[in-house]
Amino acid sequence: MYSLRNLLVAGGLLALATTPAMAGGVMDGIRANDSIVCLVNPNSPGFSVPDSQGVFRGFNTDFCRMAAAAILGDAGKADIRGIGFSDSMKTIVAKGAHMSSRSITRTGTRDANPGMRFVVTTFFDGQGFMVPRALGVKSAKELDGATVCAEEGSTTLLNIADWFSDRDISYRVENIADKTARLQAFFSGKCDVMASDRTALNSDRFLASDPAAYVILPEVISNEPLTLLAQPDAALETALYWAFQVMLNADALGVNSGNIDEVMADLANQPKAVQRLFGTDSAAGEMATQIGLPADWSYKIIKQVGNYGEVYERNLGAESAYGLERAGTANALHVDGGLMYPQPIR
Amino acid sequence: MSVLSEEVPFAGDAIVRPPRDGFVRQVRSRLFATKGDTALTLVLAAVIVAFGTFALDWLVIGAAAPWGSAQDCAAARGACWPFVVEKHRLILFGTYPYEEQWRPFLASVLLVGGVGASMLPSFHNRRLLWLWGAASIGFYVLMAGGYLGLESVQPERWNGLPILLMLAIFGLVFAYPLGIGLALARHQSQLPAIRAFAVLYIEIVRGVPMIMVLFLGLFVLPLMMPEGVSLSPLLTTMIALVFFHSAYFAEAVRGGLQAVPDGQFEAANSQGLTYVQKVRLIVLPQALSKSMPEVMNTVLGAYKDTSLVVIIGIHDIMATAKMAFSDPGWQHYGLEAYLLVGVWYLITCWCLSSYSRWLERRTS
Repeated sequence: MYSLRNLLVAGGLLALATTPAMAGGVMDGIRANDSIVCLVNPNSPGFSVPDSQGVFRGFNTDFCRMAAAAILGDAGKADIRGIGFSDSMKTIVAKGAHMSSRSITRTGTRDANPGMRFVVTTFFDGQGFMVPRALGVKSAKELDGATVCAEEGSTTLLNIADWFSDRDISYRVENIADKTARLQAFFSGKCDVMASDRTALNSDRFLASDPAAYVILPEVISNEPLTLLAQPDAALETALYWAFQVMLNADALGVNSGNIDEVMADLANQPKAVQRLFGTDSAAGEMATQIGLPADWSYKIIKQVGNYGEVYERNLGAESAYGLERAGTANALHVDGGLMYPQPIR
Repeated sequence: MSVLSEEVPFAGDAIVRPPRDGFVRQVRSRLFATKGDTALTLVLAAVIVAFGTFALDWLVIGAAAPWGSAQDCAAARGACWPFVVEKHRLILFGTYPYEEQWRPFLASVLLVGGVGASMLPSFHNRRLLWLWGAASIGFYVLMAGGYLGLESVQPERWNGLPILLMLAIFGLVFAYPLGIGLALARHQSQLPAIRAFAVLYIEIVRGVPMIMVLFLGLFVLPLMMPEGVSLSPLLTTMIALVFFHSAYFAEAVRGGLQAVPDGQFEAANSQGLTYVQKVRLIVLPQALSKSMPEVMNTVLGAYKDTSLVVIIGIHDIMATAKMAFSDPGWQHYGLEAYLLVGVWYLITCWCLSSYSRWLERRTS
């Protein structure tokens, strides 16, 4: 009986540790708690990985910080939590978190769930193939008879099956669930091809002893718009959507965290678009009163987080260990041939 | 008589021993007696020297010194100890808020201390219940906060060592009494329905892999909860582990129960003891001490199996070790991270098995 009592005591205590549901207006809740709960992948190099102090850093976490800067005026007030893929969507639906910036692909069936809302695509990814340079393959169409290493139970395998069967190419799959083991199998030559999202392939490449010995093939066989997810709430969705547009507009206008203080000091002589973006008595200021954001929300985002290009280069691009080229991809601004199209703030 | 007594050496200081071989003779007779022996010795010596020099070079000579930097590691041909220095907090406590990491540290010390105290024979009585009751509350208050002016920390941020200790230790602490209950239920004939249930339970749990039980805990247990009650994955995992380990404990304890002679049961019955008195005073003390080696075996196996929770997304010390070498700039040092985790398991398991050897010597 004593054992039972102990069990009950501990069970009761731990049950208290479950996530409490958040009630009332979502934005009111965020302001009342003075923090915004944002879910990320606990281990995704370049996108979200804890640093030596256990603080999550990366491309995705910067959009959590963007939300906190826009709504609470302080990027540090983002409560960033690492969580598994399917759990992250369940948690949003159960109102256990406000938003998720977790490389979740926006799909029709996911969007049909009334308990969560896709807000804005922060990164356009797609599935691709990596092969050893020594294989001499220039296109995925030459991969007839190849052995492909891919993650078990993922959409990756379904996409490969579709793509190869559409082209009558025969292949063999090596299913390896653990990422480290899968990479080991690929680098040791157990499989000829590694299939995954192209960003993942690019960061995995740097785990090889000689990264230059591997190439990523040009084919992109799936569309993966990685999109911010939020609790269904009109004000929160608007705030997140336009906070992201501020980052795109600043990117297009050349305003970044380094030069924004100079720009603000001399705002009257800046181009009209810049004045509308950062002036408190301008379009941005008007939006702030209507959604209930701090009057200088656009300034806070750029000052504390940076514009879209900065965030990209810092975490994934030239300034990072991954060197992922932005120019010529879907993630470039539309003027440079990409899909990032800054919506007008006026 | 007198002649004989003179010839027998005085016991204690002059026992006659065979003459001792010199060192060289010993080596020759033990290692190089035949051609086969000589070949085997030479091969083994070569292997030991080769592996030893490799290990020494990797661990010490070619390694980057702990006070070095990431650049030193890139240049070094051996281990990267600066990685361990840089990442030890992340591996131990994961994403728990940095300034608050004294709390998971204290919580871990509390659990390890609790295990240490439970090993002392003076604690093998009702004090254990108080000890673990207090340890449960202390651990929860330290980790979760929200009381005594401690900042509240969400379970998503509980990572690393305290999670391993919590799942392993609480899992075993609660599974042991449950296992004793199951063993008693199976080792009796008055209540056939209870007995059948115990047999069915034990055989089903032992017949499925632990991974399946973990997935059941993660996905099925929450479905069985009433509307509005949500369990944290940590709690459901712990419950699943308790149910899983209890079946193994039950079989270990049942072995001890079978070793208690029938006469003991009969003697207790003839004294007019109730069932509870009989079990508590006569049967269990004998059965538990007899089942000790098997119970320790279960404990060691279960403790090491706890690292499997990484598969269901619980960030124990294995997962935080993986996080440590996902950081760009430190990506090549997975071996060092896994080595650190391995050393932790080796030390703790060695302590546990030394304890069980000591306990067996003491009780035999």
